[in-house]
Amino acid sequence: MFLSKKNKLTLLIVLAITSIGFSLYKYSLKPPIKISHKKVDFVGSASELLNKIQQEGTLWQDKVVIISGKITKLDSQGMIISPNIYCQFQDSLFSKTIQLNDAISIKGRVIGYDDLFEELKLDQCLIQ
Amino acid sequence: MKNLLFLWVFVSIPIFGQKYYTKTGVTEFKASVDTFEPIKAVNNSTSVILDVSSGEIASLLFVKAFNFRVGLMQEHFNENYMDSDRFPKATFRGAFENFDFSEFSESTTYHLQGTLTIRGVKKDIETITTFSKKENNIMMQASFVVRPEDFQIKIPKIVRNKIAKTVNIHLNYVLVEKK
Repeated sequence: MFLSKKNKLTLLIVLAITSIGFSLYKYSLKPPIKISHKKVDFVGSASELLNKIQQEGTLWQDKVVIISGKITKLDSQGMIISPNIYCQFQDSLFSKTIQLNDAISIKGRVIGYDDLFEELKLDQCLIQ
Repeated sequence: MKNLLFLWVFVSIPIFGQKYYTKTGVTEFKASVDTFEPIKAVNNSTSVILDVSSGEIASLLFVKAFNFRVGLMQEHFNENYMDSDRFPKATFRGAFENFDFSEFSESTTYHLQGTLTIRGVKKDIETITTFSKKENNIMMQASFVVRPEDFQIKIPKIVRNKIAKTVNIHLNYVLVEKK
């Protein structure tokens, strides 16, 4: 090597700083975590989840759940799982793979209780 | 008893008028200045009910359902600015002036007035809304401007230059008839 010890050291430090800087930059611009990679906080039937949420609603915001139940309403954007959980699809193509009155299990994120329609709302729903 | 039922049916018609709704309305906001990373987010799950017989509108969205491109930005938005654990919802209630559904055509505009509630703070909003009708659906679009301090949102000095003083909110709803 033609580099002196001092130059080698400088090069090393410069490299270290740029790589730390770059990874920090990458970290700060990371997209939100996808639902498929999130940990599940509840698995059970739709009515069980509703019971739990009625008791302590605010705790359930942004929680990922897997619920099972019957489809009582269906359109291209989402569906209602009996008794009153509205699940918005992650991808509108899902609506083509399922039918009204099917028993289904889905993974979704709880966003809150919708007072206007009086139903619990989930988004980013994936069919399990 | 029959008469009573008859009466009830007739009395209830004007009260529970024809309604259009969506549960997946798109609400966007932009608060960017010319920095390297634009500050904007989209909420694809806004609930809206429009009573076309009276011109009244009610809508609700969950703050945590705003999607950002950057995860950290979304976290800061919810935790530091919107305090969305304490105030999960933003709501709007209002009415369109001289609303007449029978006069709807390709593109009709109405003046909207109402109250926006964010973080439990109410603010009156006025804006122009454009409506159009397409295959039995109503398309509705509007924009308006709010300021963070209207809702007691404090922006720390260190990021003050990166966040715009005014926030543009854009609404794009496709409403279907409620049966």
